[in-house]
Amino acid sequence: MTQPTTFPLEVIDLKKNYGSFEAVRGLSFEVRAGEVFGLLGPNGAGKTTTISIVTTLEQATSGQVRVFGIDVAKNPLLVKRQFGVVHQEIINSGFFTVEELLQFQSGYHGLRRNGERIRYLLNKLGLYEHRDKRVKQLSGGMKRRLMIAKALVHSPRLLLLDEPTAGVDITLRENLWDFVRDLKREGIAVLLTTHYLEEAELLCDRVGIVNRGRLEAIGETSRIVHQFARKKVILDTRSSGRKEIFAPIEKPLGDILRDAGVDPMDLRDIQVEQGRLEDAFRRLLTGDKAAPAEGAKA
Amino acid sequence: MMVAFLTLLERECRRFMKVIVQTVVTPFVSSFLYLLVFGVSLGAAVELKNGVPYLSFLVPGLMMMALINNSFQNSSSSIVSSKFSGDIEDLAVVPLTDNQIIWALGLGALLRGVLVALVTLAVGEVFHDQQLGVWLPVAHPLYLLYFTLVGGLLFAFLGISVAFWSKGFEHLSAFSSFVLLPLTYLGGVFISVESLSPFWQQVSRLNPLLYLINGFRYGMLGVSDVEITQSLLVSFLGLLVFYVMARISLSRGSFQRW
Repeated sequence: MTQPTTFPLEVIDLKKNYGSFEAVRGLSFEVRAGEVFGLLGPNGAGKTTTISIVTTLEQATSGQVRVFGIDVAKNPLLVKRQFGVVHQEIINSGFFTVEELLQFQSGYHGLRRNGERIRYLLNKLGLYEHRDKRVKQLSGGMKRRLMIAKALVHSPRLLLLDEPTAGVDITLRENLWDFVRDLKREGIAVLLTTHYLEEAELLCDRVGIVNRGRLEAIGETSRIVHQFARKKVILDTRSSGRKEIFAPIEKPLGDILRDAGVDPMDLRDIQVEQGRLEDAFRRLLTGDKAAPAEGAKA
Repeated sequence: MMVAFLTLLERECRRFMKVIVQTVVTPFVSSFLYLLVFGVSLGAAVELKNGVPYLSFLVPGLMMMALINNSFQNSSSSIVSSKFSGDIEDLAVVPLTDNQIIWALGLGALLRGVLVALVTLAVGEVFHDQQLGVWLPVAHPLYLLYFTLVGGLLFAFLGISVAFWSKGFEHLSAFSSFVLLPLTYLGGVFISVESLSPFWQQVSRLNPLLYLINGFRYGMLGVSDVEITQSLLVSFLGLLVFYVMARISLSRGSFQRW
């Protein structure tokens, strides 16, 4: 008999109400070992609320959250040992140095001598030479990296990243992407929320798109793009000038031209922009996912 | 589990040691001024009913005031500054129980309170020796220890409760100015309640600080305005009440940053 799979994170029919306002409305998804799962949605979609429930900062109204099979509501203390979290807001604690903060964080997880791991993370995240600085002396990007180091100091197998690259410059963002890829290679499961859809497309094996607390779509990133995004074909014809056509990604170019009534001999130029996650996201949120993914405008 | 608790306690101690001027130098200056103005200058004209020199009466009162103020300030400012900087959320997502958080913050605050009380005692001993030619005695060391521990922890727990319920710095400041300060000054730090009119004596007996301050004074001097058993009971009950309040504030209060 096969054992049921234990996922690093399992969210089952999660609901969270604030008075009469439904912040999360029956969310269900799982994050698998060694994958980066992106939870995407506009502001107020319920992403941070969901992370807050996973991290025990908030209590669910109903539903269940399990971390490595452990119920968050029933055994919060045990669950807290299993994950690391990088909150959305930057922390500015002014009293302690970078190294002291990492030592304290290790201690909270029961690790008295954790120097090797701390040095590894300081080096990996480019903070080693800043280890004696107080947090308020660090730049925004360094603070963000420190938060990631804190989240990883106890070597968790599940990492929750709540908009980790918000307000971070492109170089640092790319460094962080590389770091997340390394974590993935180490088999760590990552739940990522981000407003940068390019980032989600690059990093996430699977994504869930949330809107007003409800899951609109979930699946492999490439499948979501394929299913909901359209490619844009920009035609420049001798007879009628410039024309943009939106079509399903899998539709062959010949069929698009034929359906648009364009004679290939009439073409001066043609450009094809492949469908992106951003397009899928926009279409899902504006609610025209059911409409035929085709159309033309001059 | 113990490592997590000890780490938080260590953090609390290192936090107040980072502001050593605030922890040691400021109370040194303020106790020096209190003792000079009240203990030596004005104190010469004060005659207490129980025959104790006013300077001897004042030193334990100032020590207790230093203990409770610093215990309250340490635990409350630790939480409030964490709420301001945002690392309060860290405390909520690491594997520490509410009980561990309360005791680590409480003991850290108590240690700061004791440190400041010892600074006050050191200054007081110098004045006492100069003015009266003898060191200040310790009449009942066990009572002194009891009221030190209970007084420090009680106000540390109160600081935790107030800080968790606070929605901004002004809430904490309002509590200190409008509740803590009047209770401290009317609790018998500077005056013996026996010198008050019967009506105000009855009013003063509603002030829980009266029992702590007098219990502490009994530990040092062997004299008190209230029955020592009453002081023991009231302060212990106060400790229990404020511990429960701290537990409730942690489970229902806000871990959200400001």
